Amino acid sequence: MTDYWVSKLFFDLQHDRKLAAEYRANMPAVLERYAIKPEIRKALIEDDVGKIAPLVNAYLLRFYFQIRGIPESEFIARLHALQAGKGKVDG
Amino acid sequence: MANLVGAFAASHGPIIARDWETMAKDHRNRLAAGFDEIGRRLKACRPDLLVVISPDHWVNFFISNLPAVCIGIGEEHDGPPEPFMQKVFPRERLKGHTAFGRHLLETALEHDFEPALSHRLKLDHGTCIPLWRIGVDTELPIVPIIVNDLEEPMPSIRRCLAWGRLLRQAIESYPEPLRVAVLGTGGLSHSIGEPTMGWIDEEFDHACIRHFTDGEEARLAAFLTEALPRTGNGAHEIRDWVVAHAAAGSKGFELIDYFPSPQTLVGAGFAAWRVAATP
Repeated sequence: MTDYWVSKLFFDLQHDRKLAAEYRANMPAVLERYAIKPEIRKALIEDDVGKIAPLVNAYLLRFYFQIRGIPESEFIARLHALQAGKGKVDG
Repeated sequence: MANLVGAFAASHGPIIARDWETMAKDHRNRLAAGFDEIGRRLKACRPDLLVVISPDHWVNFFISNLPAVCIGIGEEHDGPPEPFMQKVFPRERLKGHTAFGRHLLETALEHDFEPALSHRLKLDHGTCIPLWRIGVDTELPIVPIIVNDLEEPMPSIRRCLAWGRLLRQAIESYPEPLRVAVLGTGGLSHSIGEPTMGWIDEEFDHACIRHFTDGEEARLAAFLTEALPRTGNGAHEIRDWVVAHAAAGSKGFELIDYFPSPQTLVGAGFAAWRVAATP
């Protein structure tokens, strides 16, 4: 199920380098500006790929974790750990 | 009237640009050879205009406003905004072709297609990696056609074939003697940001290649409609190849090269269609 505001956050971070820098420095302050549910906010702060992945387009998810500074190999490993071989999270 | 003088396909992927200088030399050489051959053939066509069919990777559009198809009709377009692209392809502007773009748009509307229009698109890595590696002349005007290949629901394969036929009709009804080439970018199989990320579905890729080589539209559409939901999400970009396929007359393509490229996360494909005369 697509979460509009998580998607919007990821989209904005991709387009605004200042915002991305601010996000890295102070995630809670930036998250306050988006109508994101508390449990999802927690998942974002904890970099919980499994909880975030079903909420956003898979390409935006990839961009987001690049902005978070997580190496792609680690991001892929986290994805594989979710349900390797069982199918897709998002089309 | 204008003429279609060539139709080509080439894969793209951010890692091709990001890691070009550091990837294994033999791998880079094979990618380079595919792009170079497209570039050689494109140059031999002596095009006046290049129509590039590509996805938008969340650069121009968002889920608040996401067209199924958008035609770039501006006099110029912006170069790629991605930092990894600006290092290898530092083009701030790419020349457009308003007259043909508008003619394509009007032809579409006359035939009950309703694309979005843009007077200025940002052309991301999907368009610009092939342009960079192919070595397209900076003066060659580009008419971008953006197809939603990223967010479901997406245009049907049947509709992409219809778009290809419409593109050909627009080319051949354009009143000036333009030489037009077409480039479909993306594919073949890849999986991005999903639990299968990194998977290259070679079985899908080889089946795709067989169907594009054979050319027959109904079999191609049936295969893709059935197979796309079962493979990685990046394969949806094959829609761009489907548009080029039908624009060329659906008489099959010549595969220039295919190989799984785990280094760049894509099934890397390069092809040139046999451009059939319009019946």
